[in-house]
Amino acid sequence: MRGHVSRWLTSAVVIAVLLAFIPMGYAQQKLKVGFIYVGPIGDYGWTNAHDVARRLVEQQLPVETLYVESVPEGRVEPFIDRLVAQGAKVIFTTSFGFMDGTVAAAQRYPNVIFAHASGFKRARNLATYMADFYQVYYLNGLMAGALTKTNKVGYVGAFPIPEVKRHLDAYALGVRAVNPQATIQVRWLQDWFSPPKAKEATQALIADGVDVFAFTEDSPTVIQESAKKNLLSFAHYSPMYKFAPKQVVSGELVHWETIYLDFLRKVLAGKYSADNLQNVDYWWLLAEKAVEVGAEPGMMINPLFVSRLKAATVKTEDLGTLSVYDLVQKRIAQMSKNPVAFDPFAGPIKDRKGVLRVPAGQTLTVAELTSMEWAASGVVGPWPGEP
Amino acid sequence: MVAIFAAFIAAGGIFSAYGINPIHAYAVIAHDALVVPGAFPEIFRSTIPLLLTGVGLVLAFRAQFYNIGAEGQLLAGAVAATGVALFTPVRGPMTLPVMFAAGFVGGALWGLLPSLLKLRLNVNEVITTLMMNYIALYFVSWLVTGPWRGPSVRGFAYTDQFPAAAWLPLIPGTRIHWPTLALGVVLAAGCAVLLARTRLGFAIRVQGENPEAARYVGINALRTTLLVMLLSGGAAGLAGVGEVAGVHHKLLDPNQVSLGYGYTAIIVAWLARGQALATLITATLFGLIYSSGDVMQVSLQMPFRVTSVFNGLILFFLIGSERLLAYRVRWAPRPAPADPPAPAAAPHRPSGEEQWE
Repeated sequence: MRGHVSRWLTSAVVIAVLLAFIPMGYAQQKLKVGFIYVGPIGDYGWTNAHDVARRLVEQQLPVETLYVESVPEGRVEPFIDRLVAQGAKVIFTTSFGFMDGTVAAAQRYPNVIFAHASGFKRARNLATYMADFYQVYYLNGLMAGALTKTNKVGYVGAFPIPEVKRHLDAYALGVRAVNPQATIQVRWLQDWFSPPKAKEATQALIADGVDVFAFTEDSPTVIQESAKKNLLSFAHYSPMYKFAPKQVVSGELVHWETIYLDFLRKVLAGKYSADNLQNVDYWWLLAEKAVEVGAEPGMMINPLFVSRLKAATVKTEDLGTLSVYDLVQKRIAQMSKNPVAFDPFAGPIKDRKGVLRVPAGQTLTVAELTSMEWAASGVVGPWPGEP
Repeated sequence: MVAIFAAFIAAGGIFSAYGINPIHAYAVIAHDALVVPGAFPEIFRSTIPLLLTGVGLVLAFRAQFYNIGAEGQLLAGAVAATGVALFTPVRGPMTLPVMFAAGFVGGALWGLLPSLLKLRLNVNEVITTLMMNYIALYFVSWLVTGPWRGPSVRGFAYTDQFPAAAWLPLIPGTRIHWPTLALGVVLAAGCAVLLARTRLGFAIRVQGENPEAARYVGINALRTTLLVMLLSGGAAGLAGVGEVAGVHHKLLDPNQVSLGYGYTAIIVAWLARGQALATLITATLFGLIYSSGDVMQVSLQMPFRVTSVFNGLILFFLIGSERLLAYRVRWAPRPAPADPPAPAAAPHRPSGEEQWE
């Protein structure tokens, strides 16, 4: 009996001590911003890029950030609950799969500001945002078309979804603009991150005679694997120059911080509130500096390849005959204007089945771009969901 | 209890290594997982699938049928329910019951093949049930990227959202889909009664403890094992229905449908030590562990992998100590050297007593 009493006493004391340590709510000075990531922050791709941006935001603005990584799609709402309980007033959810959960949370917390990356549902306190690469893929394609010797360039795609198809088509249009004989060989991984599958796909493409690679997968595997055979490649998403400094030509880099900084500055200035986001949709490209051409910040084209690109000439309708290097520079300049002076998806464009997809004199709307299913001409390989 | 404390101390080392005062860490976890409004009910969201699946596994394990395939059976249930919700004309108040029925049948059928292989060809069920998981996984993947991909999801790998009639109701103010929880509790109680009070339960127990004896007394092994696996797979199937109808409202990537519940439920069932009702406790314990992991990520801003290590440690200590529960610790004075080595302890030995110094 005595033993019982003393055990209960001990427990009570322990609990009391624990409770004493519970932090009581203290006044918050800084705006708290929460980020919900779909993958681990060390994934060398999508989530890492968002996290790099988060840290830049924390340095540059008077805000405090919180993050949660590797959040399963079915758990986004409870995690939003917890972030709100921690005092977050702005929450970014950074994966398409979080869309419905974010919409529900936006209804549940009408005073919290939400922004969802890559989705299409908005509300008075829910904005959407996306930094898209299609222009950059087109520019990479121009270079790839000039550098291929076998006239076969490869593309290792993650999932056959509109986002990847759009990038692949833009890449193919770039390749074909410089090299109308070239084909774009495609392999799908059905995975965002899978070094083994990426390795296998790269080897298969090498066996097919491909000598220049681009890809959508969150690891540098394609670069490393093709570099073993001294074949060229374009980096994807993160700075990957260092993985093959002699073979990486250029690539795509993202700067999510441009969007986060702009959005949060407007929140801090009172311009955005939980009431006026119904039509706020960031679709940011080269002109807004949300994306960059290159495999390393500040290095647009690997210096090793500049002379070859300057030696290759190409005939264009609007700029006459010029070197591929100059063409890339001119196109970047045109697409860095707002509104742009050039768009990769300017008609007339037929798909690989010969169906006219963009009529002459027109370009695609954002909605058409984000629901793109057709395959550009020159693309060879399976294309699930081809219309 | 000792195991949990030991785990806490070991995990405290991790917290310290990570630069967080362990006592502060536990206080925050306790506060944010239990006290913060809306946090407590979250525990039960992962409890629900673990409970249903765990109860089913208790049955199977009692019959000495090592069903490692609950994950696949859960997915099969989810697929069956999705099929009903999206591709049949069943609408209105009948939708959910039909979905649950379909899910039960789906899970049961998925569990049927390995049991037939075991019974007819004596193929090891651990291997077959495990492999059936991968088949289910890729089947779901194929469905959501292929024939079932919804026209409204812009090419992403999801089905369309279920119609409202196929959404499970929630307890107001929480996200607990209570019909599934109720089903789990009823099932746990039902299985307890089944095991303890019915002929089938008796057959299962005898079959599990001594198959030879079972055959001798005329228990039909085929019938018993089949029924057990139908129930076990069906229960996992119900959990799958709960996940798609109560949480996701669509079918999606298999690794998102179930967060490894089918595998975690093995531990839930194991720790319940063959008692169906005990899964109520063990499943809730796991809900709490999951929930604490979430809190650590948000409130302490710890990386996902550290929380996984923490959860793993607790499990390790729990399972490691499970064996010791068979013994009772008794503090005894050091026996005099002249004493004979206690052979007299023999009568006590079977009752599981051991002397610890």
